[in-house]
Amino acid sequence: MIARRSTGAATATGRPPNRRRVPLTAYLFVLPAVVFLAATVLYPLVFNIDLSFRDAGLRQIVTGDADFVGLDNYAEELANPDFRSALAISLIYTVLSVGVSFACGLGLAVFLNKTFPGRNLMRSLLLIAWVLPTVVSANIWRWILDGTYGLLNTVLGGLGLLDKGVFWLVEPTSALISVVTATVWSTAPFAMILLLAGLQSIPETLYEAARIDGAGPWQRFSRITVPMLRPVSMTVLLLLFVTTFKTFDTIYLMTRGGPGDATTILPIHAYLEAFQFFRFGTGAAATTVMLLIPLALSLFYFRSLRREEAS
Amino acid sequence: MSRSGMRDLGRLSAVALLAGALVAGCGSGGEEAQEPGGVTTLSLWHFYGPPESATGGALVRFLQRYEQAHPGVKVEPRHIPFGDFNRTILQSAAGGELPDIALIGATSTQAMAEAGIIEDLSDRVAKWGKQDAYLPSIWQTTQVGGKTYALPHVADTYAVYYNTELLDEAGVKPPKTWDEMAETARKLTSGDRQGLAVSGVEGEEGATALVIRILAAGGDVTKIDSPAANKALTQFKQLVDSGAMSKGIIGWNEEDVKNQFANGRAAMMINSATYVSTLRKENPDLKWKIALLPGDTRQVTFLAAENLAITSGSSHPDAAWDLMTWMQDPKALAEYLPDRNKLATRDDVPADGDEARSVFAEQLKSAWAPSGALAEHSSEVFTHVQGALQAAISGSATVDQALAEAQQKIDKTLAE
Repeated sequence: MIARRSTGAATATGRPPNRRRVPLTAYLFVLPAVVFLAATVLYPLVFNIDLSFRDAGLRQIVTGDADFVGLDNYAEELANPDFRSALAISLIYTVLSVGVSFACGLGLAVFLNKTFPGRNLMRSLLLIAWVLPTVVSANIWRWILDGTYGLLNTVLGGLGLLDKGVFWLVEPTSALISVVTATVWSTAPFAMILLLAGLQSIPETLYEAARIDGAGPWQRFSRITVPMLRPVSMTVLLLLFVTTFKTFDTIYLMTRGGPGDATTILPIHAYLEAFQFFRFGTGAAATTVMLLIPLALSLFYFRSLRREEAS
Repeated sequence: MSRSGMRDLGRLSAVALLAGALVAGCGSGGEEAQEPGGVTTLSLWHFYGPPESATGGALVRFLQRYEQAHPGVKVEPRHIPFGDFNRTILQSAAGGELPDIALIGATSTQAMAEAGIIEDLSDRVAKWGKQDAYLPSIWQTTQVGGKTYALPHVADTYAVYYNTELLDEAGVKPPKTWDEMAETARKLTSGDRQGLAVSGVEGEEGATALVIRILAAGGDVTKIDSPAANKALTQFKQLVDSGAMSKGIIGWNEEDVKNQFANGRAAMMINSATYVSTLRKENPDLKWKIALLPGDTRQVTFLAAENLAITSGSSHPDAAWDLMTWMQDPKALAEYLPDRNKLATRDDVPADGDEARSVFAEQLKSAWAPSGALAEHSSEVFTHVQGALQAAISGSATVDQALAEAQQKIDKTLAE
């Protein structure tokens, strides 16, 4: 801390004469990026938040004269059982997906961190799941899980585990498990790649020293790998949470949020409100809530990151 | 083309553009803005598909025929996928970038008229005087608050497709009543083959079959906590429980249902006329025919139609109206409809003699479409109807509970 403060003081006193000019050109250089971000990120964001405080139906969207109604849309959504159910399902879906995806990703990373023949091929194959467009993967899953001609039923039937076709996407519980599985299938390789990079940055000498001290494989994993991977793990968990929480396409293509509202997550609820039923105000309120949750998590993450750096 | 030729062409087009701008500047006093060379360009947005698709191609060819007959007009169709269509129209309306003509789902007409996106055509229609040629249930979709906001374009409806080989094998005929339908479907069920397939997928698409069944029982879609709707849903539930209808219907859209029928896993299906030519093309060996829907206390089908409307952002409303009326000319329609695989909305279009399509045309006469408050909220109400189907079929609620719960949601929607 002391060292950092002293370098700060040095630059403050020894300010070069042309220091004022440098930031100006620097600002000019970043200006296009700032304008671009303001137009494509900031403006829609502010527009959406503004809309969430207005009574905006179809006509108001066209004429642009929606009345300000304060927190009415939020109150309406919070009282709406569909919204509460969507929020709960979103959280269940995200926590399940992130948890399983992280565990699978970590397992695969530890496995692929060892050298064995065919390692690179396997790593590339795993990444295909992540690279594959959602439209393709979601439809493949739909086909695998179909009750009449699905691959899963055929395989389970062939093994003698099933005697009657199961409609995986028609039962509420199995539909939720199915969309979690499809999500994990595509996000686990992403977690694997980041965790693998983290693993490779752990110095081999630590393991050697532990081995000499008589630590077994489990101790080496829990006492060295896990703590050394902590920063990377935090990043991976946050990224997984943010991307999973805003998932729309996988679930919409597989179940459209059904059966009933078993897989109607917050993004699907917001989409239906705004673009199916034309209630833009409450739709915008739902998306604002959708924005707040990952935002709160990110703030928590950056805070803990700063604390870690400080110590 | 040589490089210098390209350069000359570039120079020429620059001059032409400049000249065009001058002409446009001079002619701005007129009502209808004209583009260079006296050519009016009309933009038309639709969701039928890209020009290379069968459905989108038919529309493009139709519009080209108009252009050939009207050298002063150029029509620029733009395809927007169905799922994005209403949203794109709305955003364009908010941004003042609307096309001249929008080809919209008939059920969206009311919402768009009330939002001021499409123009009142009542005066033009009165002068035109052809409104009596239309089937009343179809013409009614163009009416909002006693005014006409659109012209019908094409219609589609639902009837029963049946596999003639499978029905002959089982020694049964297409059913005339819903009781017979249940009986016939059970007789046609064996192994992994189901008697009847319908779409029951999440959302409004999956409500169609149950809506048809409720209407047949004499019920009202806005009052589904009723004996008629109870009878309808109970029968669907029994069909699924007996295996005559698959539990998978809850996940199947109309395309999936067509596939079940096409590969012989369903002996009958309730589906739209859209699949007549698809089945002929993709499954030439499949033997099938069309039958009218079974009746109960009455025999009703569900109307799926599209309307043409002039938007409030059009700078060529007169030219747009001319194109729209040409597109409704019986002779032009007689050529277009078989190509587009749709049904005529008016009774003076010469029949094309196709057997399957003639049954659909007959079925269309008993078509029902939502009106009034239901028309405005049809998407949401049908979503609740599908919710009742889903709850009863999956067993998460009894038929009584499912209908009572859906009724609460429908009441709430209609009270808004």
